[in-house]
Amino acid sequence: MGRLTRTHLIEAVVWLGIICVFFAYSFEFNQPIEIYRFGATAWPRVVIGLLLIATLGNLYYHYKNGSVAQGGLFGAASDEDTVSIFSEGKTLIRMALVLFTPFLFAYLLRPVGIYFSAPFFIALVMVLFGERRWKAILIMTAVIYVIFIGLFLVVLNAQLPQGNVSPFYDFSAWMLKMNTQLRELW
Amino acid sequence: MIDNFLAGTYALFGDPVSIGIFLFGVIGGMLFGAIPGVSMLTLAAILLPFTANLEPAQGVMLFAVLYCTGTYGGAITAILFNIPGSPENAPTAFDGYPMTQKGQAGKAVGAAVLCSAIGGVASALVMMAATEPLANWAIRNIGPPEIFALVFFGLAVASSVGARTIWKGWMSVLIGLLIATIGQDPVGGINRYNFGMIDLAAGIAFVPAILGFFAVSEIFVQAEKKATGKYNAPKVSMSFPSFLELWMHKFAVLRSILVGFFCGILPGIGATLAAFMGYGEAVRWSKNKDEFGKGKLEGVISSETANNAATGAAMIPLLALGLPGGALTAMMVAVFQMHDLQPGPLVFMLSPDLIWIVFAAMFYANLSILIIGVIETKTILNLLKIPFQFLAPLILILATVGAYSGRGLVLDVMVMFIAGILGYILRRTGFSIPGIVLGLILGKIGEQNFAQGMQMVHYDLGTYFSRPICTLLIVAGTLTLLTSIFKAFAPSKTRS
Repeated sequence: MGRLTRTHLIEAVVWLGIICVFFAYSFEFNQPIEIYRFGATAWPRVVIGLLLIATLGNLYYHYKNGSVAQGGLFGAASDEDTVSIFSEGKTLIRMALVLFTPFLFAYLLRPVGIYFSAPFFIALVMVLFGERRWKAILIMTAVIYVIFIGLFLVVLNAQLPQGNVSPFYDFSAWMLKMNTQLRELW
Repeated sequence: MIDNFLAGTYALFGDPVSIGIFLFGVIGGMLFGAIPGVSMLTLAAILLPFTANLEPAQGVMLFAVLYCTGTYGGAITAILFNIPGSPENAPTAFDGYPMTQKGQAGKAVGAAVLCSAIGGVASALVMMAATEPLANWAIRNIGPPEIFALVFFGLAVASSVGARTIWKGWMSVLIGLLIATIGQDPVGGINRYNFGMIDLAAGIAFVPAILGFFAVSEIFVQAEKKATGKYNAPKVSMSFPSFLELWMHKFAVLRSILVGFFCGILPGIGATLAAFMGYGEAVRWSKNKDEFGKGKLEGVISSETANNAATGAAMIPLLALGLPGGALTAMMVAVFQMHDLQPGPLVFMLSPDLIWIVFAAMFYANLSILIIGVIETKTILNLLKIPFQFLAPLILILATVGAYSGRGLVLDVMVMFIAGILGYILRRTGFSIPGIVLGLILGKIGEQNFAQGMQMVHYDLGTYFSRPICTLLIVAGTLTLLTSIFKAFAPSKTRS
């Protein structure tokens, strides 16, 4: 096993899995192109092949050297950035929530729209980042929401997701109507 | 040339509307570049429909000014928050962010201001003097094989940047290349890896991916530090670099101007590769290679000079050949088309006024970086004083708008957050985010030019390598790869 750890093996298995999926899926579009001899699959398959070599090379490196970073490279993340955080269950749950919340926000954009969901998202992110003073959360949520609305809706009149489910869509429509009336005042 | 330049200057500053648009472009580009989460591309995408109401020269000029000042503005977020405003600012973060952590943010931003202005002004001057002869040279000597060779060389350099092992550096670039294969193939238009989703047929847009990999993943990294009690607020310092410190790096500046201009002139490559290669060359020529990535001023100087030096050069393929060099120059093509104009050799004959207003505006926009940049920097540095729990939701909301505004797809916001989660995991496991992003940006360009090159030479490698520039770049790229292979297998020199 050399200096391999379970993390190295899991990492290699994940990458090999991705390589297998992408290679298998490449048969879905394995069609000839009349004007190009190599077809649509050549480039992705070469990339997949090289990724396989690099994955095995990386495994070999960890087998010989363990987790230490290679010398002579520049701009690499420091070891401090790669420490394990998963020793405490509470931290793990908090990080899972931090990762999940923006994804949920993005998922809800289509039905709910950004105008309604943004303040809740802003406040939730503050809480997840450790802010517990409710007055500070309320004030800063209002400030960020006003900056966001002021810049993108009032000044730039940007097209943003409005939602497609009532009453969220109605709320977005009301915001846009207010903006139009405000613009007419100018 | 001087007469034309003066005429362009007069046309620019002789009309109050043009002055207003110029100032809006300068301040808007700097602000949107410097606000974490959005970029000059966000502002450009939002403004694009409004340019239909402007004069053609005003519309193109606005985008040219945004390009110059936005490229500089993106360096500020790269230095202060490790969130590059645009991909061309990614190498700036390698040394800029460690400088902020060491309490030298003012010095790094000051160097970025000055070097962006120097690189940009030098590039604008060369652009004015040499657009026509350079365009003629490029038409004769630069074709798809040369562009593919340059992409190959750029990716070979990028593989040794930002990862903890050389293998992970290669894997990072290859992951980017693999993501770039999603969507229609550039030759036959066949759908690849769209997994049954119609929106994915257009491929992964690089703005949401970049926002995810850089901005969102950085938020997650800071969240982790907060959760584990390891978060240290960056120190605010207003001390700018001394003249002597900057003078010591004069050769780095000159080298980066050359690298930036050469990369910028090639269609499709743009300022991103220029910044990576400017940084890579700085490391290659340095006697203290190990100091890079730990807060070395030369790292900031090299990448910022190179990316701004590429802005003027990028106008050459756009204006002379009608080929955009990146996302913003592609939007400029759209501005031309909105006014029934087509960028290309005919523009020089049919609309010389437009060309010289744009040239003059770019020259003055780069000069204004020096003046407005210093004032703005002192204000922007105060962002560091805002507690991160308040800055994080602002960045995430702005990034959401930035991701959505490009194509108006919620899918792009999803892509951004998925890229953020992926970026966070990959950073923790020692992969190179800049490597992934460069692979993503250059992937389609590389494939398209490889295919076109092969068709050009009738699949004969002998003919392919008979082109001197192509051969030179392929040999240089291969040597870079061989060196890193040697490093990978040599008795391990590791750092704890």
